[in-house]
Amino acid sequence: MELDVRGEICPYPMLKAVEAMKKLKGKDSVTVLTDHAPCLETIPPQAGRYGYTCQVKQDGGAQWTITLIPSGDVS
Amino acid sequence: MELTHETTNGPRALLRSIPRQSMIAIVVLIGALCLAAIMSRTEAILAPLWLLAMGAGFTIQRSRFCFASAFRDLFLFGSSRMMQAILVGLAISTIGFAIHMYSKVPFPGFGVLPGEANILPVGLSTIVGGLFFGFGMVISGGCVSGSLFRMAEGYVASWVSMGGILIGLGLLSQTWNWWWHFSISSESTVWIPAKFGLGYGGGVLLTLSALLGAFLLLLWWESRSGLSVPDIARKKEPGDTFGEKLSTLWRSVFVRGWPAVVGGGVLGGIGVLMYMVHMPWGVTGELARLSNSIMTIFNFAPPEAVGLSNLAGCTGLSDSSSLFTHSFAVTVGLLPGALVGALFASEFKLRYPRNAKRYVQALSGGIIMGYGAGLGIGCTVGAFFSSIPSLSLSGWLFGIALLGGSFAGVQVIKRIA
Repeated sequence: MELDVRGEICPYPMLKAVEAMKKLKGKDSVTVLTDHAPCLETIPPQAGRYGYTCQVKQDGGAQWTITLIPSGDVS
Repeated sequence: MELTHETTNGPRALLRSIPRQSMIAIVVLIGALCLAAIMSRTEAILAPLWLLAMGAGFTIQRSRFCFASAFRDLFLFGSSRMMQAILVGLAISTIGFAIHMYSKVPFPGFGVLPGEANILPVGLSTIVGGLFFGFGMVISGGCVSGSLFRMAEGYVASWVSMGGILIGLGLLSQTWNWWWHFSISSESTVWIPAKFGLGYGGGVLLTLSALLGAFLLLLWWESRSGLSVPDIARKKEPGDTFGEKLSTLWRSVFVRGWPAVVGGGVLGGIGVLMYMVHMPWGVTGELARLSNSIMTIFNFAPPEAVGLSNLAGCTGLSDSSSLFTHSFAVTVGLLPGALVGALFASEFKLRYPRNAKRYVQALSGGIIMGYGAGLGIGCTVGAFFSSIPSLSLSGWLFGIALLGGSFAGVQVIKRIA
């Protein structure tokens, strides 16, 4: 599932990522495209809570791709 | 002549390796320093205040320090990371403020309050102000200082929030006298060192104990919500040669975000320095002054605010007519500081929400927050972050009211997709 939350105000980037993880319950991965730097600190701790691991990649400048992968897939 | 030929080394290549945003950062930095020099001609003290505000803006940007998220995320995500950072800042400020207040008023029991300390009335206005402010900051996505630093980072919605804040402050100015007669005139300040013979030792001990208690409560809250902070493997940076060490240092200060707790500690220290230079940090006063000037231009000047000039805190100081004032320096200085922080990290970007509802949220949240800031005689900075270290009971009451307002705000934003 892809989530493009660029331009969104706080806290919607995190809120939408968390809601996606809640809905998918580890059945699918979530790719979050964001330009909101606080996400880098707030999404990773939430990922663990919903059974996801988290990878952060900076796309250059103020844009990041956060990939949330169900923990079951990597272990 | 071909000027775009490839040079692999030499000064031109070095120049090209510097990101464009960093170049702009240097220009902004030089401009802001020049402005400090110009301001110091009006009054010498303005330069250090401006520089400290720039330092605060830079720190807030680097650590993504956000009072709104500290309160909001307790309820929204069960996370206390930012609130813990605030507590660290408050503890540092409390000790520094006490030392400075002691130099002004050595014997706290005689009814004299240390000048400029943010010792504000405790009563209905504190509670209503905090509830409004907490609710508004969650709806709009940032508090007053948060909106200021995000304006500098290029968040267009924060500009809308700032418009709302000015409107809210204006509405409060128009209704201040009603509040004064209804409640504020009968409210009194509670300065903890002057109560029950506690003195500075007792006041500081009590405040630090309460902060420790709050910290333990946060840990319990987080454990209850099942939040665990994962270990995120960070790429190990090379650090052997002098150049590599320098580059690592540069990246950790100017490029990578700082941990929130570092931001909290630095802001606590900057708060103490600002108070030592003149007055505790606050950003509402200057905005109230701006709001009143705008209303005066449109022939809608607010009535003379009864009793306000006798109260400490942010808005009581806002009657000067010249542009460069202390409140101007400590408020507007945030903007170049945060802008420089964003530019060096190449994080400046104009961000337009694509959902029209967000603009409505930013404006209406801003208005509610502005009204609360006027009523509380300060925002999350002046009436909370500078008030608890002033050993004033008002800071605690305002903080608790902020919690209540944020809780209500969280219930609303969850329903606005």
